[in-house]
Amino acid sequence: MFRRLILALVIAAGPLTAQDGPAPIQELLQEQGALIAESSRRTIGPAIDALAASGLPEARQVLERWQERELYREEETGRFAFGVEVDRDTLRLVEIATGRDIGEVSGDGWEEMRPNAGIRGLIAAALVRFQLSDPDPATRREALRAIERGPEESHLAVLRDALPQENLPALRSQGERLERLLTVRFGSTVEERVAAIESFAGDTSVDVRAALNPLVATRLSVSEGVPEGDDIARVVRPGSEALPRTSAYELLVDEGLAPMRLTRSAKRDALVANIENGFVGGYRVAELGTEDARNAAYRELVAEGSAESAIPEEEIDRILDRFGFAERYVASPAPVALAAKRILDGLDARLGMMRLADLALDGLSLASIYFLAAIGLAVTFGVMGVINMAHGEFIMMGAYTAYLVQRVVADYAWSLVVALPLAFAVTFAAGVALERLVIRHLYHRPLETLLATFGISIALQQLAKNVFGTQARPLTAPGWLDGSLVFNDVVAISYIRIAILVLALVFLALFLVLMKHTRLGLEVRAVTQSPRMAGAVGINPDRINMLTFGLGSGIAGIAGVAIGLYAQVTSEMGQAYIVQSFMTVVVGGVGNIWGTLLGATLVGFLQKGIEWANPSNTLAAQTWMILFIILFIQVRPRGIVALRGRAAEA
Amino acid sequence: MTDATPTATGRRPFALRHPSVIVVVAALALFTCVVTLLSEAYGTGAISTSFVKTLGKTLCLCLAALAMDLVWGYCGILSLGHMAFFGLGGYAIGMWLMYARTHLIVVGSLSGQALPATPEEIRDGIAAQIFGVVGGADFPAIWSVAHSLPLQLAAVVLVPGLLALVFGWLAFRSRVTGVYLSILTQAMTLALSLYLFQNDSGLRGNNGLSGLQNLPGTSQPQSVTSMWFFWASALALGLGYVLCAWIVSGKFGSVIRAVRDDETRVRFLGYPVEGFKLFVFTLTAVICGIAGALYYPQAGIINPAEMAPIASIYLAVWVAIGGRGRLYGAVIGAAVVALLSTWFTGGQAPDLPLGIYTVRWIDWWTVFLGLGFVLITLYAPDGLGGLVDRIVRVRRSDRDGAELSSGPGARAIRKAGR
Repeated sequence: MFRRLILALVIAAGPLTAQDGPAPIQELLQEQGALIAESSRRTIGPAIDALAASGLPEARQVLERWQERELYREEETGRFAFGVEVDRDTLRLVEIATGRDIGEVSGDGWEEMRPNAGIRGLIAAALVRFQLSDPDPATRREALRAIERGPEESHLAVLRDALPQENLPALRSQGERLERLLTVRFGSTVEERVAAIESFAGDTSVDVRAALNPLVATRLSVSEGVPEGDDIARVVRPGSEALPRTSAYELLVDEGLAPMRLTRSAKRDALVANIENGFVGGYRVAELGTEDARNAAYRELVAEGSAESAIPEEEIDRILDRFGFAERYVASPAPVALAAKRILDGLDARLGMMRLADLALDGLSLASIYFLAAIGLAVTFGVMGVINMAHGEFIMMGAYTAYLVQRVVADYAWSLVVALPLAFAVTFAAGVALERLVIRHLYHRPLETLLATFGISIALQQLAKNVFGTQARPLTAPGWLDGSLVFNDVVAISYIRIAILVLALVFLALFLVLMKHTRLGLEVRAVTQSPRMAGAVGINPDRINMLTFGLGSGIAGIAGVAIGLYAQVTSEMGQAYIVQSFMTVVVGGVGNIWGTLLGATLVGFLQKGIEWANPSNTLAAQTWMILFIILFIQVRPRGIVALRGRAAEA
Repeated sequence: MTDATPTATGRRPFALRHPSVIVVVAALALFTCVVTLLSEAYGTGAISTSFVKTLGKTLCLCLAALAMDLVWGYCGILSLGHMAFFGLGGYAIGMWLMYARTHLIVVGSLSGQALPATPEEIRDGIAAQIFGVVGGADFPAIWSVAHSLPLQLAAVVLVPGLLALVFGWLAFRSRVTGVYLSILTQAMTLALSLYLFQNDSGLRGNNGLSGLQNLPGTSQPQSVTSMWFFWASALALGLGYVLCAWIVSGKFGSVIRAVRDDETRVRFLGYPVEGFKLFVFTLTAVICGIAGALYYPQAGIINPAEMAPIASIYLAVWVAIGGRGRLYGAVIGAAVVALLSTWFTGGQAPDLPLGIYTVRWIDWWTVFLGLGFVLITLYAPDGLGGLVDRIVRVRRSDRDGAELSSGPGARAIRKAGR
């Protein structure tokens, strides 16, 4: 556009050259020449404002090229020109007003204007006014974005001027919103700002919160007696969590309202400094073995004038009682701050809901992991009444299988496709072997099964340590599982967790079909209810036990692949999940997949909920969760979904 | 001991009815004498001080295993939480040891000052010394009696006892039994150790308590104090053995064995099963607490990792290997496995070259322990104690009927025969 402008100017000016008298832009530049050349962020303001407000058609180009470090000044005459470095000491110069090529000159007599980062920011802000009326929508959008990134007071007027001309609805609404945001911060009257603030009621976006939050900034202030005034955010009591006694007293000392606090060490030092012949302030040194005696001796010293007057610890409370402490709004006039506070409080409720939604997503994903980890355990426990302490090691085995597959198959997606069935196969085989070799012999001794499988567990864990080493092995997810599904500023969930959730749902469906609609499922259910009766009708309980145990172990292997994808693969990874898996089974009740699902949901949500209530301490969260579960067992000793009748007696 | 008629056993003295008590106590006394005569402090010095500590610690582990045998082998409660009680006892005594020793250090360093130290200065100095490592400078509430040895000694008994009482009451009254109960005790242990891992638990987080080997108030060298702890451990084990043997010998012992074999039947016979279980659970927790209070001053350091659930499972493993349902089995199992573990994982055991692969015991001991444990469970459910039985040819019980105690159990046999 401005090429055309310049062209038009050149045509209008005809043969006019610099020698015929300086063009207006040249005059303006030379007027501000000293400031421009000084290039200091503190003093440059008027120069940029003068250029931007001049209304001269060249102003925009000057600002842009100045920003690009292509503005030069002749040292002798103070004349400005655009220039480009050709080589180290040659410049190609262009007349500013006319665009006439001056030709190549030696760089010696010309000084480059070097705006630093701060000045370039100011120039960019000034350029916004030109860009906002640019015919190209992309430039206008970019200008709005520039305002969003670094809002300045001057933008408000510029934006208000430009908005009526904006004809693209999207840009116009964006601009209007931006105008309100700027009004919140820079509006000239209180009423205007309050109105703008109130227009954002219920808007939870980050930029609104960023604009409102500074307005409600407070500072602690102190006054004698009860604090008063309309700018009080809240009254705080010394000794509360918000204001410890010592900081309250320090504030008094800083404000000159109370004498220095006498710390124990200061008191001791003062006393030690005044020891004379074994006496301090009339007291024998040997007597000063209590704080009371030391206080008394110090008072004597103060009376003598050899120590500064100070308040001992014990009297601080009495002094603090005389003063009132309040947090007062300092960043903005009280009505603005109160309006902002009102809107922010309204937002908090909405944000709370969104955080709750985010928390629910987290809980859901944790629940799906626990479900995957526990389902195998629940199956073997439900069908055979056997707790497999090596279940965690089957999880680990599945994860290491996936790790080994990934070393052979380079493509992450394909390696996952290979690893899932392979992990199932490996752990299925391991489970069947364990059942045949050990558990089969211990059916009537469930407690000993628990211990024997524990023996297997420590052996497998150490074996994995011996084979794979102690350091964590990575299991990389395919690229399309990177990143997160983002709903808004608060609610988001990573794709890996979604994938695990889907996997858990798939297994739930598969399992339901297997149990309800296949011969094997029928037989498993029969053996669960009564092994002897099942045997009587021709089912081989031995075979069913073996298959069930293999199935449970196989699912543990799959869970291992899933867990390995977002946590690391170590020989101890199974241990991290085994207790939670037990909890899931115990809470959910045995012998029913819906029980396991409910148990996993409860345990997952509970853990996330406690972590949310006490975010600084995830260890405490686990402690509380386990305590809760112990108490839960009091209410429902057989879990949420309890088997009834004879099966419950086993 | 061939005479097994109830009328005759009722009249004979306690010790005669349980020859194992005499044997174990005598063996323990002999062992203590031998170790004393070979120690650095009171004898030839053939046994190093550190080995005396190892032996003393092993005696404490035997005492814990004894308690475990009582609660599991006799009462049928497979608790996976007794090492937590052991650790609690250690923490209780550790608090006093650490406080008292730091007190001495702080008083010593403050005595050089121009003014005599005030109680507040001393207390602040101790708190800064103890809690500086977790960024604290004040005593948490649970340390309020740490300065008093009698109160902390009471805590050794009361803290594990009360925890076991409350937990046991909650668990038993809701009829949580069998595998469920094991899982629940494991959860309790995990919760406790995770809680102690926190820095603001007031017990120095994962740093634990350290410097416990220094006994405040004595200037004797380690070689002497370690012998004192060794004697105390031997005495505790001896007394614990007699107490446990006495408990399982009378009518009470019959009832808890019956609870193990068929809880429902005992309940229908009119016995308050929950009360019996709760008593045994709490008593064994207290015994474990005492064992821990003797163990950790010899170990020198205690931290929450010691209370992880796996420690309690190992305790069950020792008892199972030793042969449960026999008190001497627990002692043998704990002593053998603990000493072997120390030997194999301590790096003293020579590597086993197999030509293509050299078995390094540090790496492989746990594997063999795990597999060996499975084999014992499968093929020798009576454990090492069963071996003793075979040698001595005793009938293990005064009761009629088939194999009892650790075998398949009366209930399982009944089921199989039904």
